[in-house]
Amino acid sequence: MLQNNPSQFETSGKSEATPVLSVRHLKKSFSGKTVVNDLSFDLYPGEALALVGENGAGKSTTKNMLCGLLQPSGGTILIDGQEVEYLDADEQGIAAVHQELSLFGTLTVAENMCIAHLPGRPARVDWPKADRIARDQLSVLGIEIDPAMLVEELGAGKQQIVEIAKALLQASRVLILDEPTTSLTAPEREKLFEIIETLKERGIAIIFISHFMEEIYRVCDTFVTLRDGQQVGSGRLSDVGQPELEAMMVGRAVGHDAHAVAEPSSEEMLRVEELSSEDFHDISFSVRRGEIVGLAGLMGAGRTEVAESIYGLRKTTGRILVKGEAVSAVNVREMKRRRVCYVTEDRRSNGLFLNRPVRENLTAAAITRFVRRMVAGIGFAGERKGAAEVVSTMKIALPHIENQVVELSGGNQQKVLLGRWMATEPEIFLFDEPTKGVDIGAKFEIHRKIVDLAAGGAAVVIASSDLLELLNLSHRILVMRKGRIAGEFDRSDFNSVKIISMAASSTEGSA
Amino acid sequence: MYPRTFPYPASIMFAPIFKTARIYPAVPIVLALLAAFSLLSPYFLTAGNIEAALASNSVVLIASVGMTLVLLTGGIDLSIATVISVSAVMSGLVMGATDNVPLGFLVAAAVGATFGAVNGALIGVFGLAPFITTMATGLIARGLAFVYSEGVAIKGTPYWMLDFGFMSFLGIPAVAWVALLIVVLAAIVLSQTTWGREVMLVGSNRNAAIHAGISARTVEFSVYFVAGVLSGVAGFVSIANLGNAIPGVGDTLLLIIIGAVVLGGTSMNGGEGSILRTVIGVALLATLTNGLNLLGIPFYDQLIVQGILIFLGTWLASTFSRARD
Repeated sequence: MLQNNPSQFETSGKSEATPVLSVRHLKKSFSGKTVVNDLSFDLYPGEALALVGENGAGKSTTKNMLCGLLQPSGGTILIDGQEVEYLDADEQGIAAVHQELSLFGTLTVAENMCIAHLPGRPARVDWPKADRIARDQLSVLGIEIDPAMLVEELGAGKQQIVEIAKALLQASRVLILDEPTTSLTAPEREKLFEIIETLKERGIAIIFISHFMEEIYRVCDTFVTLRDGQQVGSGRLSDVGQPELEAMMVGRAVGHDAHAVAEPSSEEMLRVEELSSEDFHDISFSVRRGEIVGLAGLMGAGRTEVAESIYGLRKTTGRILVKGEAVSAVNVREMKRRRVCYVTEDRRSNGLFLNRPVRENLTAAAITRFVRRMVAGIGFAGERKGAAEVVSTMKIALPHIENQVVELSGGNQQKVLLGRWMATEPEIFLFDEPTKGVDIGAKFEIHRKIVDLAAGGAAVVIASSDLLELLNLSHRILVMRKGRIAGEFDRSDFNSVKIISMAASSTEGSA
Repeated sequence: MYPRTFPYPASIMFAPIFKTARIYPAVPIVLALLAAFSLLSPYFLTAGNIEAALASNSVVLIASVGMTLVLLTGGIDLSIATVISVSAVMSGLVMGATDNVPLGFLVAAAVGATFGAVNGALIGVFGLAPFITTMATGLIARGLAFVYSEGVAIKGTPYWMLDFGFMSFLGIPAVAWVALLIVVLAAIVLSQTTWGREVMLVGSNRNAAIHAGISARTVEFSVYFVAGVLSGVAGFVSIANLGNAIPGVGDTLLLIIIGAVVLGGTSMNGGEGSILRTVIGVALLATLTNGLNLLGIPFYDQLIVQGILIFLGTWLASTFSRARD
């Protein structure tokens, strides 16, 4: 029943109906790396299918193939049982609501909703008609939003609803929803579920992507589970329990001993007390010398914001203590002086100087070390040698140290970023998604390095959406949910299913 | 073991040329122009012509150094040209009244520094957009230059100053020595000091620079400040060149300065470029103007030829950089 067997649908009770959308052996590779492989399922009219899997399992890629944004590398897509070579989602009545909003803040709700197919002639748009279309659509869905309002004046939840209403103008047959509830309040979420029910009654098929298990069980009929791009299960939700489904997502038993972590000392290196900002509230924790603390949580739970705040990149209230000493002015230079470093999750925007040589990237955070003092601070004596040393200790593969960083692979870029911080000899490391977008080999090396750092006496915080990574490396895991620390797990009682359900639970304190 | 036989593949033989052309796209064009003009005009490669060309381009060269620093951080300074004018006027007025040349130099530098500090504070500290900010300060500078000079050249330039304008050492005019000194200093500071490195890194990726602990605001303030001071010096040099402080001396130079820096190969997006590139860019435009003048081509016809040559040059440069891939 949970086997990866598309034929099960043909023998199911719905065999007389034709699926509105089917995929067979769907595959997608990017420059030789397969991210979705051998995906097969059927979607019937009026049915809601849950696409479940961890971050990076291939859900977004699948979504993008189904709404025509990506061309599959292999396999077939069938509409009404007919194979289509190039999927014109618009033509087929398929529309998706993506996780990132795609609205124009400075345009009105009506303009946003009709932007893809403006009524009237190209040179003379029929704005009153656009307004009418939007008004009708909103009232059919029972949404009270004035179509004449500017989108930027609406709250995040209302914007999400507008996005859905807009997609529904095109989605006459299939609507794909990617994490539609993350920015919704509880009543707004209820409203969305009502809308979905009406759509299902009208025969529209839904593909629902969500981390929230309660929502999946509430909304969906069938499911497809992805793990590392492979379809690891599919069937009817009524046949599987939530723990079973979560175990399927996380997969293989987690190897806790993959990296033997050393016992931390009792010396407290970093303490955070009641740290609050507009993105998170009352964050308190401490990290000891030699300890690795994981920060788990869903996208938008506030992991990055907390890490950036400790490094002084954001304004906060609360106290930060480094080695027992309260830091009065929390800013980057002060934290750097106190041997704290933050390795960003977004190395392209916030980390690397892409058009500068590897050498300059490696020495950027510790440049004063390389200034020759003999000639009054002029010249970078030893910079090249110092940078070359980092290249060899970090095992960065590159043609030449003068090559631009942009020419390196993701894994090597990440190692350059890590190497830069090593050169400042920090004692407290804040890692944010340390292995995002790197290949397996580089991932292992980076993990090894982090474990070595801790063993060498550093205090380490890792914020990551990769739960396996945290389970492998951490002594403790703090689970964040909606800007708060929802719970804490010690290595001895790590339990991926419990951690996921705590992070994804929509009710406060359910874990 | 065996000696390699010729010909080597073209890709190996011409690799150094391609590499030079990629980093310094204007070099082959300057060389081609030099060759063409020396064939076309018997006066082109004479000492007198070269000396005159060096002197008349020192103002642009000094100001271009400042513009290079600003562009390297990813900003732009539209006030440079008219700050040259207002510095010249103020300096000229003070020298006319006191006959004191060093004081005149200090006044010019101080006026430039004031404008640079205002630009730097508005952009670096208050985070205003460089384009609008420097456009506004540039307008103010232009207005001040005309108000204080009442629209005419300032009289009473000290003789010492006029002598300085005609002085020459080792066949190179004194004003060109000033420009050269500034170029060498700027090149050393940019490539050999932490400040220079910070300028590059802020321009390459401002966020990443902040994460690395570099104060992007301080760096931004400082480049506009330095650009202002250099504009002041350029204004002072213009008095030596022309014999008088002229209220509109810098007004037409803005596009020449930006053009020279960008043609030299410094990116307007920041983080890529050098002082040497700017020198080459200035040389390109200077050679072009000088050569066309010698050939007796009327001013407006020259503009057309300049436009076409800039097109050709950019096309060549992009072809060279693509040939590498």
